[in-house]
Amino acid sequence: MISVSVPVLTTERLTLRAQRPDDFEAYAAFYASERSWGMGGPHDRPTAWRGFAAELGHWVIRGYGFWMVDVTATGETIGLVGLWNPEGWSEVEIGWAMYEAAEGKGYAAEAAIAVRTYAYDTLGWGPLSSVIVPDNTRSQALATRLGATPERDWVSPGGTSAVIWRHPGREAVTISGGTDQLPASGGTEARA
Amino acid sequence: MTITDLAPTTFSIPTLETERMFLRAMRADDIEAEVAFFQTERSRSVGGPLPQAQVWRAVAGMIGHWALRGFGFWALEEKTTGAYLGRAGLWCPDPWPEPEIGWTLMDHAEGKGFAREAALAARGYAYDTLGWTTAISLILAGNTRSEALAHRLGARREGEYLHPTVGAMNVWRHPGPGQVPGQTPGQTPGNPDTADWRPQ
Repeated sequence: MISVSVPVLTTERLTLRAQRPDDFEAYAAFYASERSWGMGGPHDRPTAWRGFAAELGHWVIRGYGFWMVDVTATGETIGLVGLWNPEGWSEVEIGWAMYEAAEGKGYAAEAAIAVRTYAYDTLGWGPLSSVIVPDNTRSQALATRLGATPERDWVSPGGTSAVIWRHPGREAVTISGGTDQLPASGGTEARA
Repeated sequence: MTITDLAPTTFSIPTLETERMFLRAMRADDIEAEVAFFQTERSRSVGGPLPQAQVWRAVAGMIGHWALRGFGFWALEEKTTGAYLGRAGLWCPDPWPEPEIGWTLMDHAEGKGFAREAALAARGYAYDTLGWTTAISLILAGNTRSEALAHRLGARREGEYLHPTVGAMNVWRHPGPGQVPGQTPGQTPGNPDTADWRPQ
């Protein structure tokens, strides 16, 4: 028997936890919408189900993966953030898929910083990447707020042109400290 | 940020043992064989051919299926050699009509009864451990090898299911938990094909 454990991460306002079966309806709705185009969507429901299952299997194969993001106070699920590195990927990246309800509150940044901190402090990794398709201005803005900058062009195994953004490394994040790196719109890092 | 190790979400994949095989969780080093399989025409009956990156995701999806459904595909490992023979198990991705028993062997493992041995173990697990009261197998028309095996397992054709990507598949209904061995109408009692039907 094998057993796989997905840790729970918490920030000031958010709880990051493993994907569950009852998350699928909202996930399928997201992937059915135009909002998902930056994540390779839209996808029909069977494709979305297999993608959802593959994200869980990614944890088993790689030892890391995506978390669902809940607003702790309400229990509302607002999207996914995680560490993604399937076959053929450029390298491990921080990825995110935020539902519409997450807009404008700084939740995406808060969740991404939690995951990046986990990667740096718990997994001991170096500067991470994010893969962002051109014209995905929402994700570009988030990456910029996280201190990442465009590094090079890349084409996914599926033939999608994208840009690899490079995040600041652990030292840079630590030096800039706390909430200093999030000047714009209210994301807060819940570093104790 | 606080890492709460108190409440991680855990899912498990059991290992079953048959006379000649371990049925165990799929893992990264099985993917190479699956990549080769999904380059062949034989993979057409299970949604192939597929490029390498898609095969990786398909295997990841098979593993994740366990977390979502509580059952899934096992890798078939030959006890004597450790070789990866293929996979078999219990499968019900969205929007499957109902859970099925599935099997897919690598080329080199065909013709030795491994699929039957694994399918019996999977069916035994479904009935005896999971409490299933019935089971189907979805088989693409013309996949004569799988049709023959379904027949030998006591399954009978009962209709068609239109798979969203693969197309029309035949629904084969397995004998239920109380119908094996030898109790299915039309089956010969003591049929050697079902004689080893018991929980593995």
